[in-house]
Amino acid sequence: MLARIIRHEWQMLKADAVLWVIVAIVGSAIAYGVWNGTRWVHFQEGAIEAARSEERVRFDRLTAQLEKVAAGERVSPFADPRSPSNLGSRLAAKVAVLPPAPLGALTVGQSDLLPSYVRVSTESREAVLASTEVESPLRLLTGRFDLAFVVVYLVPLLVLALAYSMVSGEKEQGTLSMVLAQPVSLGTLVAAKVVVRAAALLVIIVGLGLGTLLMTGVSLADAATRERLLWWVASVAAYMGLWFAIALVGVSLGRGSAATATLLAGLWLLLVVIVPSALTLGVQQLYPVPSRVALVQATRVASDEANAQGARLLAAYYEDHPELATGDAEQAMTDFNVVRLAVNDDIEKRVRPVVAQFDEQLSSQQALVERFRVLSPALVVYEALSDLSGSGQQRHRHFVSQVSGFHDEWRRFFTQKVVAKTPVADLSSLPTFTYSEEPSSALRARMMATLATLLVPAVLLGGLAFIRLRRYAIAG
Amino acid sequence: MLEARHLTKRYGTTTALEALTLTVSPGEVFCLLGANGAGKTTTINLFLNFVDPSEGQALVNGVDVTRAPLESKRHLAYIPETVMLYRNLTGLENLEYFAALAGSTDLSRGSLLKVLERVGLPADAADRRVGGYSKGMRQKVGIAIAVAKGARALLLDEPTSGLDPKASNEFSELLRQVSGDGVAVLMATHDLFRAKESGTRVGIMKRGRLVALHGTDEFSHADLERLYLEHMHD
Amino acid sequence: MIGTIARKELTELSRDGRFRLLAAVILVLAVASTAAGWLQFTAVSRQHAEAQRETREQWLGQQEKNPHSAAHYGVYAFKPASHLSIVDTGLDPYLGVAVWLEAHRQSEMKFRPAQDRTAIQRFGELNGAEVLLVLVPLFILLVTFPVFAGEREQGTLRQLMSLGVAPRLLVAGKALGTLAAVALVIVPVSALAAVAMAWASADSYLAADVSRTVALGATCLVYFLVVTGVGLAVSAWAPSSRVALVTLLGFWFATSLVAPRIATDVAGSLHPTPNAAEFQRALDADLSDPEEARQRLARLQAETLTKYNVTSLDALPVAFSGLSLQSGEDHGNEVFDRHFGRLHDQFSNQARVYQWAGLASPLLAARSLSMALAGTDFEQHRHFAKAAEAYRRDIQRTLNDDIARNQRAGQPYLAGTELWSRVPDFTYDAPSIGWVLGRQATALTVLAGWLTLAGALALLATRRLSATLG
Ligand SMILES: Nc1ncnc2c1ncn2[C@@H]1O[C@H](COP(=O)(O)OP(=O)(O)O)[C@@H](O)[C@H]1O
Ligand SMILES: [Mg+2]
Repeated sequence: MLARIIRHEWQMLKADAVLWVIVAIVGSAIAYGVWNGTRWVHFQEGAIEAARSEERVRFDRLTAQLEKVAAGERVSPFADPRSPSNLGSRLAAKVAVLPPAPLGALTVGQSDLLPSYVRVSTESREAVLASTEVESPLRLLTGRFDLAFVVVYLVPLLVLALAYSMVSGEKEQGTLSMVLAQPVSLGTLVAAKVVVRAAALLVIIVGLGLGTLLMTGVSLADAATRERLLWWVASVAAYMGLWFAIALVGVSLGRGSAATATLLAGLWLLLVVIVPSALTLGVQQLYPVPSRVALVQATRVASDEANAQGARLLAAYYEDHPELATGDAEQAMTDFNVVRLAVNDDIEKRVRPVVAQFDEQLSSQQALVERFRVLSPALVVYEALSDLSGSGQQRHRHFVSQVSGFHDEWRRFFTQKVVAKTPVADLSSLPTFTYSEEPSSALRARMMATLATLLVPAVLLGGLAFIRLRRYAIAG
Repeated sequence: MLEARHLTKRYGTTTALEALTLTVSPGEVFCLLGANGAGKTTTINLFLNFVDPSEGQALVNGVDVTRAPLESKRHLAYIPETVMLYRNLTGLENLEYFAALAGSTDLSRGSLLKVLERVGLPADAADRRVGGYSKGMRQKVGIAIAVAKGARALLLDEPTSGLDPKASNEFSELLRQVSGDGVAVLMATHDLFRAKESGTRVGIMKRGRLVALHGTDEFSHADLERLYLEHMHD
Repeated sequence: MIGTIARKELTELSRDGRFRLLAAVILVLAVASTAAGWLQFTAVSRQHAEAQRETREQWLGQQEKNPHSAAHYGVYAFKPASHLSIVDTGLDPYLGVAVWLEAHRQSEMKFRPAQDRTAIQRFGELNGAEVLLVLVPLFILLVTFPVFAGEREQGTLRQLMSLGVAPRLLVAGKALGTLAAVALVIVPVSALAAVAMAWASADSYLAADVSRTVALGATCLVYFLVVTGVGLAVSAWAPSSRVALVTLLGFWFATSLVAPRIATDVAGSLHPTPNAAEFQRALDADLSDPEEARQRLARLQAETLTKYNVTSLDALPVAFSGLSLQSGEDHGNEVFDRHFGRLHDQFSNQARVYQWAGLASPLLAARSLSMALAGTDFEQHRHFAKAAEAYRRDIQRTLNDDIARNQRAGQPYLAGTELWSRVPDFTYDAPSIGWVLGRQATALTVLAGWLTLAGALALLATRRLSATLG
């Protein structure tokens, strides 16, 4: 019976212009979104390559200079390619890259705002991480037209467009009572309608999405990529499921088509536009992150004070780091580079509380967002899609923590050499950075949580709708 | 076949139907008469389980429609004032769909065409989309659904309102044929003439109550009209 | 007659629960976003003013040192928040807030506030402009879609027309009714925002801000008229209120969510910018070309010797180091003007494409105007960056001149407070409204075009009204 109704519904849907309009809209939106995302990934790759090539050129020059110096050429102390201080702070600074993930083209996410590479030197961690890519501010403000935009904003509207008049349309057209005069329950009828619409939409979105993605040359050879794609399909399906459930609740209220459409459009606006931006506003009010101006000033004050104390700080520095005071301490006390180390160390110590305030407020914001994310399925799915494309907060945080580790290692390496005044002869002995991807178990756990957050309300709302449908006013 | 027992429906303070007790046997054509708002549609909706009764029971083939809504609908066919069909499907496709929903097993094109022929739908219309059907053609498809389904009770709500006299006549003729096959018919109508012609019994309703119940052979058409108007007064 | 029709529309709307709910939601959001904007503005203004004062104190408080040391010590310039950023933060979150002005280098402005926010900010910021330009139009569309389509379904339209009401009056009355309903929501919010702004700037509510506020209000009004016209036209044209609703929602979605994204994509493709590493590489290549530096110094040396009519640098009455430093600055300035000029030109060009894209979506023209009037568009950011850079160049010139005048060969030269205070404090004057609107000519024209189009559509609607009664 269900199968027969499904067949009929498919026939009706096929004959309806709405479906084909939707196919056209979704088709072009998906193709454009994937293409656009791919372009962005190419831009990122170009930027990373440019940074790497700058590093290569710099290192080639350094090697040449090292050879010249070894051959007896004299250089100014500020350009000495052997000086660990020069190398660590400028000359040998290394590019630490967060490469675009395999599915990066699906969601641009935060990747246009957060840097995809940083130049690691002995500068402070904040200075190292503060790099930015050149990007049109207008584009940053509006956000990009990527596949995630299509999924997050457009798909729910299409779900609602397909579903809002499922029952009221037939009632207004008069066929509802004809159908229900047969031994068919309204629940069965609605279930069939939902199945047909959901399947059609899912096939269109997943089919076109994966199709265009494959055309852009994404390789599926990697099992991890395949798994991510599966999660992507599952998240999109769950998101659609939730919107069908929301639509069903609207339908089950038994109002006319126009009234149901208004109601559902209002819900869409609330959940996709208003709640996210209100939440942004809320977290910023509850945990305001101070302006970076405060940090600029704090650093400035600290460095004025530290510089004024100069050599005295060095003594304190050696007290803190007795392990370094091995070489000729007497000589070191007057050495410019060693004093600078001590001064920088002191500046960082003074600025740390201000920096901590930023981190603290931001993580409080993040915690609040995580708690209230369930209020908007759009937020939940956006987070998941960014996560799967490796363009979200998660992967970037993972990158930053690795960069921090590398930064520490870099500093330890050069600090020892600066204090001990060991020249660097071999550039290949410098620490190197390679980004290592997060274990897939962590992703899996987050995805399960995402699916649960979408599916539990979907099931509850769907159930509620079906219960309400029993009292649907068929006549009158 | 159709039985109402103290069937009552209240909407808030208005009583749409009050303690209707009625039986319609196979082969009988029961005509419900009454002014607009008398409760005729409510009665039919109760038999279809489109609305829940406030009190009493509606039984189809001895089963309570609220207890076994799907089972009861297997025996019912419903023809509203205008039979509404899917505009984008042909008459035949519509019939096929409804018959399939009704649980008919013989859905071959041949037998469905035969049904359409029997109810007098022009042969060339079966494969046309119903968007262009006249009201008379739609009502015929309605009867065809009932026939294809093998319904044993027919619920009609003012099925001939707005039909031209010829179409109306054809429709009544069909109805007589169907009831001749042993189908119980409950028809709400304003057409006293048709009620006298094709009905076996008439009931006059007023503000939700069945105020008179007579066999059509008890009087002439003029008597029926007088009786009706008498009840409508005061 | 128009008044009667408008009054009936308003009465009907005010009895509609959905309308009341929607109006309440918009009102609450407008109040909340304005309040948040106000808090943000006061916090940022205070921080920036304080920082600007501190940076000046630090500059003046420098101990005795060589002027070039001071040049490397540098000062910071902090971008002040404009009063109208209370209603439209525009591009501000995505542009830097501070720039370090030191010797030899022009820097990009640093610290984009957006980098210190959670990812959900990408769903858009809730500010006054967002409410006015995105939510209110949706409200207008939801109010207008049944205006004719619904009356046609109810059959009341036939009734009205049979009474001999002129279609033109009917359309005008309905438009007026809709706008009156919108005004019910907007007027209290605007009053509140104006009070907030006046309060936030009790001592400095400049005439410029008043004219900008009025212009912003006018922009919104015109945009609302455009949306009302479109809504009424679609309502008159649509076969049913359902179709009218879906069409108008599609219009809203396309113009408010899709068009901005496509417009910025197109702008980016037409006027591409290099990535940061490439930009830096090209800049560095031009800036520190050793061959160029050698030739430039040789030339400077020769010129200076001729100018002072001496044969050796030691015989010069001025310190050559000061001259060569300034020559380096001059060379750098020329390179910076070229490279930053090209980059910023591209951003300006992109913003112009965005204005032109207003042809496809009136929102873009209105948005562009709103950001410009709020002082949060790219042009005004650039204006500030230019002022800061000019200040940097002034500092360098003052210091280098001082070196040239006072440094003696072979002797250390230390300057003190007298020199530091000769460098004036940094002051910044935001451009006039004329300057701003001059750069928004395209957006103004496009919006005017839309207003005409919407008027024409509404007129067409009146024709259509009488034609579709059958
Ligand atoms: N859904 C409903 N809600 C409230 N009252 C109703 C409803 N449906 C019918 N009624 C009332 O019940 C009474 C009977 O209506 P109905 O059965 O449709 O009359 P008829 O079909 O005889 O013209 C009328 O007074 C009508 O107003
Ligand atoms: Mg009736």
